[in-house]
Amino acid sequence: MNRWFYPLVLLAVPVLASASGRPEDADSAPTEVIQGRQIYEQYCAACHGRQGEGAANWKKPDDKGEMPPPPHDETGHTWRHSDAMLYRMIAEGWRHPFNKSDRLTMPAFEKRMTAQEIQSVIDYLKTLWTDEQREYQKTESQ
Amino acid sequence: MRSIVHSTTRAAWGFCVLTAAILMPALVQAQSADDAQPVKALTTNSSGALLVLRNSGLFVIEGGTTTKVGLPATDQEAQPSSLARGADGSVYLAGPGLGVWRYDSAGDSWQSLNDTLPGLGVTAMAAHATQPETLYAYLGKDGMFRSRDSGAEWVKVDSGPREPVQAFLHSDMPGSMESGWLFAGTIRGVSRSMDCFCFWGDAGDLRGTVSAIGYDPTAPENVYAVIEGQLHHSADGGETWTSLKTPQPVTALAFSPSQGLVVGTANGNLLAGGAADKWTPVHE
Repeated sequence: MNRWFYPLVLLAVPVLASASGRPEDADSAPTEVIQGRQIYEQYCAACHGRQGEGAANWKKPDDKGEMPPPPHDETGHTWRHSDAMLYRMIAEGWRHPFNKSDRLTMPAFEKRMTAQEIQSVIDYLKTLWTDEQREYQKTESQ
Repeated sequence: MRSIVHSTTRAAWGFCVLTAAILMPALVQAQSADDAQPVKALTTNSSGALLVLRNSGLFVIEGGTTTKVGLPATDQEAQPSSLARGADGSVYLAGPGLGVWRYDSAGDSWQSLNDTLPGLGVTAMAAHATQPETLYAYLGKDGMFRSRDSGAEWVKVDSGPREPVQAFLHSDMPGSMESGWLFAGTIRGVSRSMDCFCFWGDAGDLRGTVSAIGYDPTAPENVYAVIEGQLHHSADGGETWTSLKTPQPVTALAFSPSQGLVVGTANGNLLAGGAADKWTPVHE
């Protein structure tokens, strides 16, 4: 085996991993992202999944005629919304207009989270997206 | 001398009458043939005039007068097929081999908006209902493109619904997470998404190849779609649909500020109204 092979592999793997466009690891993230993850697990994970995977069959209304909680990872559409819109949906809640019920299926969290905590959740959600999705969302937020 | 002049004049009049008698049926036939061409697309301009796209060209109908508008000078393979009205009243023309063009009525000219599109294979386009600079174009396998600067820069935003899109519409119906809704007429029915392109879902259970789609800007929950000549209406944003009776198969539709719903037919006619299935001809 070429004596340069293993050092090259050791150099190349981190570079390739960071260039893959995969979601980031929140464990090695800034403090606000770690805080965002903790808040997400406390308030959001029960509906949107511990890894942000969302409900099964989230694209179709459930038995109650309500749209199920969508994923927040790269398979969903959270990355298509601006920071301002994400903040508004977490703070004020959301009801899909074609739901058969009138309730807010996404509850309003503005009385349970501070503005800084809501922002930290958004920062955490961004770690679940690909580089391309983060770039798209950055443009939408401008 | 007077009798010679008199007989010459009579002969001239006789010739004119005979010529007219021979040519008139042919002229009438030519006009009928033009009218009989199916209406391919309809829209309105900033003054509320109807724009009618037929195989024979683009026509503006205003106050009972019809004026022909020259089409963009493009490849012969180009197939103009879509018309759209921007929020500022600008008129857009699109089609396979044509891309997207904007009409400048002051200069009676067309401006190409294709510099940053990946190709000219635009099978459907839409203009944002309230944002004059925002346009949408569907390029088949290349996906859906959006421009937020009146067509100067196009950015791919989505792949679109699973099935190919035949007709495209932006609506300012309330309830969107962003600024409105997109309706796409596909070969399977009507697909709907908020204009964040969050995801495309079925708008009700209407099935078939949608060839035209439109909505009532004064009551945005009212959406109309044409499947194989049959006009369908939804009063709840596409959740449920009912069929509307029309005297002829419908091929295009638009909303006129003065006449309301106007449909173009396979026979080349334009009909307005539709309340209680009563339609009145639009005079050209």
